[in-house]
Amino acid sequence: MKVVELRNVYKIYRTEYYEVRALDGISMDVEDGEFVVIMGPSGSGKSTLLNLIGCLDKPSEGEVLINGVETSNLNDNQLTELRRDTIGFIFQTYNLILTLTALENVELPMIFRGLGREEREERAKELLRSVGLEKEMNRKPNEMSGGQQQRVAIARALANNPKILLCDEPTGNLDTKSGEQVMEIIRHQNEELGVTVILVTHDPSLAKYADRVIRLRDGKIESVEHVS
Amino acid sequence: MFLELAKRNLQRAKVRSLLAVVGILIGVMAVSAIGIFGESLKAAVAQNFEEVANELIVSPNFQEGYKYLEEKDINRIKKLPNVAEAIAIKSDSLLIETKKKKSYTVVYAMDEKDVEEMFEAEKGSIRLKSSCVVGKRLAEFAEIRVNSKITIGGREFRVAAILEDTGARFDINPNSAVILSPEDFEKVSDVGYTLLIVKADSLEKVDDVKNEIEEKINSRDEKVVVFDLKIILEGIDEAFSQINIFLMAIASVSLLVAGVSILNIMLMSTIERTKEIGIMRAIGAYRSTILKIFLMEALILGLIGSGIGSVLSVVGGYLIDLAILQDASYVFQLSTLLYITLGFCVGVFVSVVSGLYPAWKASRLEPIEALRYE
Repeated sequence: MKVVELRNVYKIYRTEYYEVRALDGISMDVEDGEFVVIMGPSGSGKSTLLNLIGCLDKPSEGEVLINGVETSNLNDNQLTELRRDTIGFIFQTYNLILTLTALENVELPMIFRGLGREEREERAKELLRSVGLEKEMNRKPNEMSGGQQQRVAIARALANNPKILLCDEPTGNLDTKSGEQVMEIIRHQNEELGVTVILVTHDPSLAKYADRVIRLRDGKIESVEHVS
Repeated sequence: MFLELAKRNLQRAKVRSLLAVVGILIGVMAVSAIGIFGESLKAAVAQNFEEVANELIVSPNFQEGYKYLEEKDINRIKKLPNVAEAIAIKSDSLLIETKKKKSYTVVYAMDEKDVEEMFEAEKGSIRLKSSCVVGKRLAEFAEIRVNSKITIGGREFRVAAILEDTGARFDINPNSAVILSPEDFEKVSDVGYTLLIVKADSLEKVDDVKNEIEEKINSRDEKVVVFDLKIILEGIDEAFSQINIFLMAIASVSLLVAGVSILNIMLMSTIERTKEIGIMRAIGAYRSTILKIFLMEALILGLIGSGIGSVLSVVGGYLIDLAILQDASYVFQLSTLLYITLGFCVGVFVSVVSGLYPAWKASRLEPIEALRYE
């Protein structure tokens, strides 16, 4: 079953003086439970692609289908619900709320979903334990290392049991060891729990986690490589 | 949790939040304290008028051809329910002669006990048996002293007392007049009763008494005109209410300034937290949720500022009353509570309204634009 479908997608940024084609007619599918790594040099359109799949941005042309639903037909609230219930985001810069503790950060997507205090607290604790942060639950982001913050971000991304995990350079700001820890957690989610992972990176060493590696250049798919 | 989030955001910029609270606090305090003072002023002025406010003045209806009040009507009025007292007065303009001056002056005919009750003697003592009392201004003008003799309408009378200046009155004004007993008055003038001062049992009964007089005396002909001094009290009340509204409008400018400062602070906060808004939108916050969080911050600022402002407005009202009216007892009346509530509500309202635009602006941010913001 296809969880992500892109049909001839363009993302064009126009100004008075120039036009940039960040995505130039991309068509691709991602199967349920697949681990896809998207690679390419800076400016190749990787992050733009991820933002479109994550319903954070809209294409200039073409269709983006998530779970078979054409996203351009959805209103803002429906897109918000799709992001909340189906998609989990992991960003390079963690993007945690600095005034909240690790536990509260993980609880946040569940609050937006309307879960009761007890239920969400229990689940947030369980998720933080699963990423090895049982002792750091009550710490605020600036009291934690980069690796720990990224693990909090993963726990947050998994809070509402998403079908798709979108990772934008998740190890970009981490040292090798922390990077490996983070990748192991993501791999575990994919292999053991069947979460579809779409990961954007510069780092060729991450290709080993993928079922498929898609290389982008100048907004176009340059190559698709299936990894056995 | 949203409340917690709003609280923490406010704590993040403590000085800024504190300044916003101080702004609201001053505004609320100004509005409420001035409201309290205005109400106190009104109460103080009204109190001075209260002793005459239950009076009704009955005079003959000249327009219908009645020059004097009839004695039987006066007696009927005296017997009406809720009438505590009725003082019938005759008055005429008569020639007064002293050693040095000669002039036409108003002369009243009143019972001695009524004169004693209504006026105070500055010099001498009030006695009307074969003597008269003279108003202060007339005494000064005609150089009249106690025990000096004056001729009224061709008859000589001894001056028993000179009255204190009564100031402005609405019933009779003896400052430039002479008062004689009814018996002596009849010797110099043949006019009838020109005025009847009726005192109702209480302020609440004034209307009843007025209606009774109209009903009993004016049933066939409009023989008398009834004027109640309560109207004056109502006029004072209305005038001071208007002054109070004007003063509060001036004070509310400070509340407006406080509102603008909240607007400014919240706008700055929106810009600073653009990325945070983007994160929340990315992980599933509706636009309305963002709106709620920001409005809650404005509400918290408003509640704290207005709360402290309300408490301080009592102190402010007390001090203003003490300084201007030399009496702070008026602060402790029901209307004070009304102005505190009003100040509090207006303070909270201004805060929330000021927070509306920044909150709306925050909620309209596109998630991707907000996430890119550094």
